[in-house]
Formats: sequence, C-alpha cells, structure tokens
Amino acid sequence: MEVLIAQIFNGLSLGSIYVLLVTGFNLLLLVAMIIHFSFPVVVVFSMYVSWAVMTATGMVPLGILAGILSAIAVNVVTAPMFQHIMKKRGSVDINATMVISMGMGMIITDILSHTFNQGFPIAFPDALTGNDKGALISTRLISISRGQVLTLIIGVIFVLFLFWLLYKTRAGRAFRAIAEDPNGAKLVGIPLLKTGLQSYALTGILGGVTAVLMAVLLGSASAGLGDQLGHKVLAVSIIAGLGNLKGGLIIGLLLGVLEAVIQGYLAGSWSNAIAFIIMLIVILAKPKGVFGSSL
Amino acid sequence: MSLPLYYFLAIAAIYILMSWSIYIPYRVGQLHFMTVANMAISAYFAALMAINFSWPFWLVLIAGTLLGALIGFLVSLAIGDAPCFAVVIVGFTFIYLTKTIIENVEAFGGPLGIFSIPKVMQTSSSNRVFLLITAYALVLLTGYLIKRFDRSRLGRAASAIFIDRDLAVSFGVDVKKMGMFLQSWASAVGGMSGVLYAFIMQSISPNHFTFHIVGICMTMLFVGGYSTIWGALLAAPILWGFPLILPEVLQSWNIVIYGVLLIVVLVIKPEGIITRPMIKKLESILLRKKKLV
Repeated sequence: MEVLIAQIFNGLSLGSIYVLLVTGFNLLLLVAMIIHFSFPVVVVFSMYVSWAVMTATGMVPLGILAGILSAIAVNVVTAPMFQHIMKKRGSVDINATMVISMGMGMIITDILSHTFNQGFPIAFPDALTGNDKGALISTRLISISRGQVLTLIIGVIFVLFLFWLLYKTRAGRAFRAIAEDPNGAKLVGIPLLKTGLQSYALTGILGGVTAVLMAVLLGSASAGLGDQLGHKVLAVSIIAGLGNLKGGLIIGLLLGVLEAVIQGYLAGSWSNAIAFIIMLIVILAKPKGVFGSSL
Repeated sequence: MSLPLYYFLAIAAIYILMSWSIYIPYRVGQLHFMTVANMAISAYFAALMAINFSWPFWLVLIAGTLLGALIGFLVSLAIGDAPCFAVVIVGFTFIYLTKTIIENVEAFGGPLGIFSIPKVMQTSSSNRVFLLITAYALVLLTGYLIKRFDRSRLGRAASAIFIDRDLAVSFGVDVKKMGMFLQSWASAVGGMSGVLYAFIMQSISPNHFTFHIVGICMTMLFVGGYSTIWGALLAAPILWGFPLILPEVLQSWNIVIYGVLLIVVLVIKPEGIITRPMIKKLESILLRKKKLV
C-alpha cells in the first residue's frame, strides 16, 4: 500500500510534466494550426542549453534563464517556417507541418547526440535538483523529494495560469477565436499573424519552464529523451482528442500515475513498453480520442 | 563486384522499397510508419527460420511478405480510416514495442542481434549477384504494381480521398476499405524488404530498425516528391549515396543534412522535386519523339 501511495505521488509530479508538454502542443495546434510533433524535442534542447550554461558559469539562475530564453528563441525563430507552409493551406494539408516538425526533431536530436558532452547523457548539478539535501518527507517506504513537490506545485500553478489566460482574458479569447474559425476571427479584427506569433512565444515560455522543471525532477537528460517524450505527448493528445485542453490535463496526469505505478511493481524497460501497449490499445479502439477532438 | 558497390546498390534497393511502402498509404494521406516495424519483424522471422529450420530463401521471402501483410491487415481493421496523426502514433508505438521485445527476449539475440544468416548461393560472389538481381526484380515488380494501381479506378479514388475525403465519400468511395487495402499492401512491402535486408546484411540487430529509418525514408519520399512513384525511386539512391562520398567529418552529420533538406524542400516546394505535371510533360515529350521517328 505504501508503495502505491509513493508511486501515485511520483506519478502526479511526472504527470504534471506531461500536462505542461501536452498543453504547449495543443496551444500550437489550436492557434497556429501546426502539429508540432517535436515540441518536446525543443524542450529537451532547452534542458541541454541550460545545462551547458550551468556547467560553464556555475550559476544556476543563469542556467534557468538561458533554458527559458532558448525555448522562446527556438519557437519564434522556427515560426516563419511553419507560417509559410500554412499560408498555402489550400494546397498543403496539416500533415505537412507534422513532417516539417519531425525534420526539425531529427536535426535537434542529432545535434544533441553529437555535440553536448560528447553525446553522453548529462547530469544536472545538485544545486538545482536539491538531491544533496535529502528527501523532504521520508517515512519508511515513502520518500518525497524537493524536486517532486516543486514540479507539482509549479506545474499546477502554470496550468491554472494558462487556463485563466485562455478562458478569462481578452488575449485568450483571441486565441480561442482563431482556433474556432480563423476567417471569422479575421473579420472581427483579430490580427492573425500577431496572435499566431504570440502563441509561439507563449508556448516557448511554457517549454522553457517545463525544461527547468524536468531538469529538477529527472536530474539528467539524454538525446533520445525528446523523441520518447514526443511519442508520449502525441499519444496523450490523441487519446484525449487533439486540441482538447481539459482532456489533455486528465489523460496526462493519468499517464504519469500509470507509468509510476507500473514502475513500482515492474523493473526495467518493460514498464515503458506496458504504458505504450495500454496507449496503443486505447488508440486502436478510439482513433478519434476519448473526449472528442475540437479540430 | 566490389563489396562497397554491392552494399550501396543492395541497400539502395531496400530504401526504394521502404520509401514506396510509405508512399503507398500516403496516397490516402496516411503516414503509415508501421512498415518499419514490419521490416524488423519479418527480418527476425526470416533469420530465425533460415537458421533454425533451414527454410529456403524463396519460402522465407514469401512467408515474410505474407506475415507483414497479415499484421498490417489486422492493425488496419482498427485504423483503416483513422486520421493521419493516429496512424503515425500507432506506427511509432509498434516500432518502439518491437524494439523493446527484440532487445529483451533471449531467443532474438538481445541487443546484439542475430549473426550468420546463411547464404542463399554457395559462393559469396554468386550470392551477391543473386540477391542484387532478386532485390531489383522485386523493386521492378513493386513499381509496376504501384504504377498499375495509380492508373486504375482505385488509384483515382485514392487521389480523391487525398484531396477531399468528404467529396470522395459522397462519390461512393469506401474510405475504410481503401485505407485497409493500402496499409496491408504497404506492410507486405515492408515485410518483403525486411527479409531482403536480413539476407543481404547476414546479421541483424535491434538498432538497425529504429526511428532513423523512418526519418531517412520520409526524407527520400518528401524530397523526391510524394505524388508520383518516381520521386522515391530517384531520391533514394541519391540521398543514400551522397553522404558516402562526403569527407569523414561530415558523414556522421548525415541525419542533420537529411533534416535540413527535408525542411527546405517542404518549405520551397511542398510537393517535392518531382511532381505529376512534370512527369506528364516528360511523357508527352518522349511520346512526341517516338511519333517523329
């Protein structure tokens, strides 16, 4: 029983990472109309940048800042590429954006596995992860680290902030209007390009924060992490229904808990495989999502 | 025949077949990456059958192809008319699961893979010639079948689904059946190339069948042009060949080169380098010349 409780808590903090990633993915899908399959790869890239800055200067806040800035930079720099493709939306379908995003993922993953740390996995300093201070709470089997609590709290705050932004503010209404009907939004005077760019920048901030949280929670990263997260995020958002923000929230948390619980009872690479098998069964049974797609 | 040339030609044939196996379901707008998993499954099936039960090459080839078709068919029952992204994630999941199972089960040789797959012919040189001829004969056969398909009623129906799914449905095209047919066919081609790959390389390991094959074949298809069979046919040997003549420093960056090429071509020319109007024009020029003669 104690193992279960401990793993559920682990799963919630892992799940909040998935929720942040899925929300970023869905934002880009809804507002900019791109399937950014490699969004998690960009996040892992920011982790690497922040690691490089931290090891070079030894200053943790500088590394965090660099991670967030690099995520925004990558997102805004690649925006024109996607916008250009989407301008010809008549002749090109949305799948082309997914292919471009996959190409981007290929490039970033290969660069990560060639340059940083000679391709070996990176480990973040204890000053960031707080592992040297020991667990925050520990009773016999349950041990909760500072990183997990921090991830869960910041994750919840950030997701709440995003939902507030989307559903309670003027800017959020503009985002949702574009998602609903781009032509209608244009007619009522919403600047399409500017709002699109804002959504890229917003997901950049989201990605940067996620990168820092992942660094705190996992304490290490490898070049292949981005691809694996990419598959999971796409699977989660398909199961939830593409573009369904609330569905993504539920399924993301569920996946985190599911993975952690399996890991508590089963060792090695099989636990990951079982999570994938469960996701596969759900997708095969409901290819259009459980909660319905808003596309 | 020198060894490097043999490997270049043989692997080029495999890449042509694999790019076509992605081309076939993309006729209805589905990126069916499961063919890479089919390639791995059939390659391991071929290796185990040839080593443990000494099945002859032809039997293994046919059985491996049918195995691919069967798996493709069973999966297509669920995702025959699914949206593209669902098909993509099913493919990725299958690749991941296949790799995990192969790596963790003793009988499949673990992370090291399987060695010493028997030769088809007695001597190595005749073995190479035989495999090359077989591989290119299969490329010709597959190409001929795809060409026949593209020119038939079914091919036009597939194009209609690609352009406008709702319109195709209202014309009476069965989207699900078409998707199932194309996915099973593609998986069969994937399985066939897996068997060929196992016999050409004579050793296979789980690392041969990962996501980099997806990236490479996708680049070949989209750079060459996804609207005709000629795009992949021309792009596969060129893209697979040119990193081999680059200086050694640049060779390890070939995935970055592929990625950049893919993005640049998609942004500048979304349909790829070779398009249908281009083929039509070429055909009319060639036909006119014939008439003059």
